[in-house]
Amino acid sequence: MIRSALLLSLFVCLSPLLAATPADLLLVAADDATLRPVIQRLTGTQVETRGGWTIWRGQLAGKSVVLTRTEGDPLNAVAATTLALRLHPPRLVVVFGVSRAHDPALRAGDCVVSERFAAFDGLQSAMTALGGGSNSLTWTKRPHKMVTAGERETSTEFFVADPTALAIARDLKPAEGRVVGGTLGSAHQVNREADRIAWLREKWKTSTEDGESAHVAGTAALFGVPVIGLRVVDGTPAAATALALSFVEAWK
Amino acid sequence: MRRLLLASLLVALVWPLRAAEPVDILVQGAERLEIREVLAALGPNAVKCNLGPFSFWRGRIGRHAVVVSLTGQGLLNCTVATVLGIEEFKPRLIVNQGTSGAQAPFLALHDIIVGERALDYGNFVSPLRSPGEGSKPLTWTPVPQRLREPRRGELIAYGDGFRGDPTALAVALRTRNAMGRVFAGTIGSAHEVNLELDRVKWSAHTFGMDVEEMESGHVAAVAHAYGVRYIAFRVVSDAPYEGVPFFPMAARATALFTLNFLENFPPLAPPTPVP
Repeated sequence: MIRSALLLSLFVCLSPLLAATPADLLLVAADDATLRPVIQRLTGTQVETRGGWTIWRGQLAGKSVVLTRTEGDPLNAVAATTLALRLHPPRLVVVFGVSRAHDPALRAGDCVVSERFAAFDGLQSAMTALGGGSNSLTWTKRPHKMVTAGERETSTEFFVADPTALAIARDLKPAEGRVVGGTLGSAHQVNREADRIAWLREKWKTSTEDGESAHVAGTAALFGVPVIGLRVVDGTPAAATALALSFVEAWK
Repeated sequence: MRRLLLASLLVALVWPLRAAEPVDILVQGAERLEIREVLAALGPNAVKCNLGPFSFWRGRIGRHAVVVSLTGQGLLNCTVATVLGIEEFKPRLIVNQGTSGAQAPFLALHDIIVGERALDYGNFVSPLRSPGEGSKPLTWTPVPQRLREPRRGELIAYGDGFRGDPTALAVALRTRNAMGRVFAGTIGSAHEVNLELDRVKWSAHTFGMDVEEMESGHVAAVAHAYGVRYIAFRVVSDAPYEGVPFFPMAARATALFTLNFLENFPPLAPPTPVP
């Protein structure tokens, strides 16, 4: 009786895995302008929508590919990535798009490939009395306490990119710009204060900022799925899409 | 052979069985201390289930079929845990509960705010400033959370955040908090601990926030996207105006309040079948 109950519990817990359809790649980007050219190249396209998040899947360059849209912010990015990972567990997550430079050595059109990711939205300020003002340059960073096996929290500053995918990404030959390894930062922020950007770069080691890449990487980390990020500095959606498509071609 | 047949049968039955039997209420807490009393109330027959690294416990509390979820802290953890919880257990109501920092000066340790609204207050665009001009957070422009409305395909901005379920709100406001007072209010979420009183005052004024914490607004957004009813309870565990530092055991007050709420909350009717 107990063994039957245990077996039933196991199957109940494993049911999503039983229902899941695996894929080779999960491609994640912010908007239709970036995703549409990829979707148009898919064959055998299927579309699913849940809770406002959409998943496209089909075949591309001989691989089974799933796509989802982040809307350019962490919450939608994490939710959409979670759904895609649950329904169609991939071998690799590729998050791609445009970004703003934190590293002053970067130039418009440079392609930053992720050595690692930093979700830099965590902060703690010091006790300051009324009238004492607010100054983000005095804040301390607050890493994410990621849930890990055994109901433990693991304080995490950086999510590391998959080394095999990174090696492939470093060899890409974009039409414009250099390919540079770096740290992709993300938060639901547009930082335009030069001193704060310098502070973020000093504390979080960020090369660029965007609205989702590190949060997608964090979600992939929760599920133990490898991830790579590709970002074109001050680029166009078309340039980001071209970079991602060249990666899909090169990846085995 | 019999085992193989049983296993095949279960594989065939599990998915439709799950879809047909949603739980009534998903109760969430970010930390173990925030769910301890609720977990104990599930009793020894609760069934534990792990989805990814996240733990869920399924059982009954009084008249309700309940799943308790340990979400972990912050947007990343709680958004994943909520999507998994909704997809797996199809709850009719989500109760997100835990600790918070007071932003309204009248709040004291162990007071509970019931979320009339929950929102994400950490998003912004800063103005252009050249090197040497510093950083001035009180001049940043907030950016509302957006969700895509699936039928029309439009992105909708939720500047006021997400409203708590009116029935759950009414029941919560007549539920006893044995350790403090109960108020309806606005709960703000971000991966932040703000102790600069000028910024606390700014966010209380800008968003109408009574307390700050790290999950409610994000969980509310996901619940809204799925059309699942939602309510949040937040006990005051630290009060910067009073110089009260973080007191983790305040979590017990919110868990006990949640149990009182579950006792008061009427049984949830199954959804009306579509003709």
